[in-house]
Amino acid sequence: MAANNPFPLSRDALLGCYRRMRTIREFEDRLHIDFGRGDIPGFVHLYAGEEAAAVGIMSHLGDGDRIASTHRGHGHCIAKGVDVGAMMKEIYGRKGGSCEGKGGSMHIADLSKGMMGANGILGAGAPLVCGAALAAKFRGKGEIAICFVGDGASNQGTFLESLNLAAIWNLPALFVVENNGYAESTSRDYATAVNSYVDRASGFGLPGVVVDGTDFFAVHEAAGEIIRRAREGGGPSLLECKMVRFHGHFEGDAQTYRANGELEDLRANHDCLKKLAAQLTSAGVASAAELADIDRQVLALIEQAVVDAKAAPLPSAADLLTDVYVKY
Amino acid sequence: MSNPASGNPCVGIIANPVSARDVRRVIANASTLQLTDRVNIILRALAALRALGVRQVLMMPDKVGISSLLLRGLARERTLGNAMPDVAFLTMEITSSAEDTRCAVRLMRAAGVCSILVLGGDGTHRAVVRELYLGSTADAPRIPIAGLSTGTNNAFPEMRESTVTALAVGLHATGRIPAERALAGNKLLEIDVNGGAIRDIAIVDAAVAFDRFIGARAMWKPDNLHSLFLAFGEPTAVGLSAIGGLLQPVSPRAPGGLAIRFGDGRAGSAGAIELTVPFAPGLIRSVQIAAWTAIEAGQALPVDLPGGSMALDGERELVFAEGDAVTVTLRENAFPTVDVPGCLHFAAQHGLFRHPATSQ
Repeated sequence: MAANNPFPLSRDALLGCYRRMRTIREFEDRLHIDFGRGDIPGFVHLYAGEEAAAVGIMSHLGDGDRIASTHRGHGHCIAKGVDVGAMMKEIYGRKGGSCEGKGGSMHIADLSKGMMGANGILGAGAPLVCGAALAAKFRGKGEIAICFVGDGASNQGTFLESLNLAAIWNLPALFVVENNGYAESTSRDYATAVNSYVDRASGFGLPGVVVDGTDFFAVHEAAGEIIRRAREGGGPSLLECKMVRFHGHFEGDAQTYRANGELEDLRANHDCLKKLAAQLTSAGVASAAELADIDRQVLALIEQAVVDAKAAPLPSAADLLTDVYVKY
Repeated sequence: MSNPASGNPCVGIIANPVSARDVRRVIANASTLQLTDRVNIILRALAALRALGVRQVLMMPDKVGISSLLLRGLARERTLGNAMPDVAFLTMEITSSAEDTRCAVRLMRAAGVCSILVLGGDGTHRAVVRELYLGSTADAPRIPIAGLSTGTNNAFPEMRESTVTALAVGLHATGRIPAERALAGNKLLEIDVNGGAIRDIAIVDAAVAFDRFIGARAMWKPDNLHSLFLAFGEPTAVGLSAIGGLLQPVSPRAPGGLAIRFGDGRAGSAGAIELTVPFAPGLIRSVQIAAWTAIEAGQALPVDLPGGSMALDGERELVFAEGDAVTVTLRENAFPTVDVPGCLHFAAQHGLFRHPATSQ
């Protein structure tokens, strides 16, 4: 297949992106089930439905590029290359997890992959990214740093201060606003004086771009230009991805703020994974059977990750003070 | 449709909250018109409409912020005692996509607006005209539009202060100027795929590209172009229509259009000439021109590329595959616009803004 690939990525790269998006989906859908059964301690916020944004952006990055994620961070971790088995153990609170089972869902980090951490504090990643971008600028290797925030977190002072800092230092930074339409359960009209995130960037002299976050190619193409600009010294930008989430703000959220039939419509007509699959198969880049094969492999990977996580030991009392302080 | 002379005219306003938001902000420093500026444009237009006696306005709602900012602005104007029309927001599902524009046009048509004021770029105006043109029966009244440019390229809407455009709309809406003097006919390009399976339009340009995906929609890579059809192209334009404008200008009011074939090596054709054009605001690029020819209205011109995409008024909109039969047909006098300079010249000539002096 794919004698004539009409897309801006090779067939292998496209199938790799599809695999990552499918991995995020299966990972999150499995957590939805396992959390409902009471298997998982703490809290989880699922990224299912938003995969095109994470993978569309992260497919331009290497391990030297840093990202700061949000409380809804599993998708960012997987897209950035964090080991899925270690993530599952972390969420299950087991040894061998990304942070030895002591962080949980909202604190997964893997610096070897440039993943500086999910973050339970809204907007807290933005200043961290300014620091990472400043370091990247001094290193001079063309690396960048990316901050993800939700539409609600963009009201935090930390976020606005970071836009200012990134602008005046001309940092190789990208601020991604993942706009899934719901700031937890508060409407934007109530909480936000001017609802355009691009306008906020513009107020600090940063260019801002809006893309359809449910279209992998739209995100990939726009992010590619923005990231290239940052690598070449063009400075910071803001990217707003208009997207949808398939689960509640948190697991257990009754989602009474949704309209009747809204979720069914989102899953039927705005599923980024279905869209990508349709684009790849209709262009002849991949067959439905090839994609189904990837789906089976991913399912097995997630199943194995859960089995391994459940079998892994819990951290002991002796682990409480490890990885807390740095010795110089 | 509300009769412009009925004494109770209603004007529709469609303001795209996300025009001028694509990747050309990053690539070429294209302008970002802030929501607050867009709302101020609307408030100035509303003041002008009210001054001419338009008391009813129907607005497209949105979730991005124009509606909420406008409501705040109208409340402020009422507090200050400034006269404004009654502004009602359409009751409709908001999808935050071009479907909102199309839905708003349908509802405004059903409500009988006598004209629609549009804030956006070429793409927004195209969305409005598409619904008016493809969604109307042949005997339905033709609703004129008036454009305010808040987009990126803005080849179709003229750069003009909204107060002035709204005065022209108000003159027409209140019946002070007869339609034959207030309105102008416009060309468009009709796109047909597989004998009507897909029908679409472009009001300025329809570009055929090698890419077979929509992606980020905007066009900023000349190498992707296979061919270009123009309803008009002026030398003062920026964007795809500037290619025709600098090659063989065709004015919006002149008959005929232009078809251009690019030579980029991929199609096996070398360029006959190289043309330097403002491909987007702040983006000067060279394009290889293989051939160009004038086109006449009514000719169904085939797209001779086996699979690609079409950008309509600067944004990739549809993908076609090998075996799809795609044609482009120029239509003249296809939809009316309010002739803003014509209206105001008429008003000046006929003293429509003169009144007896009030005693001191």
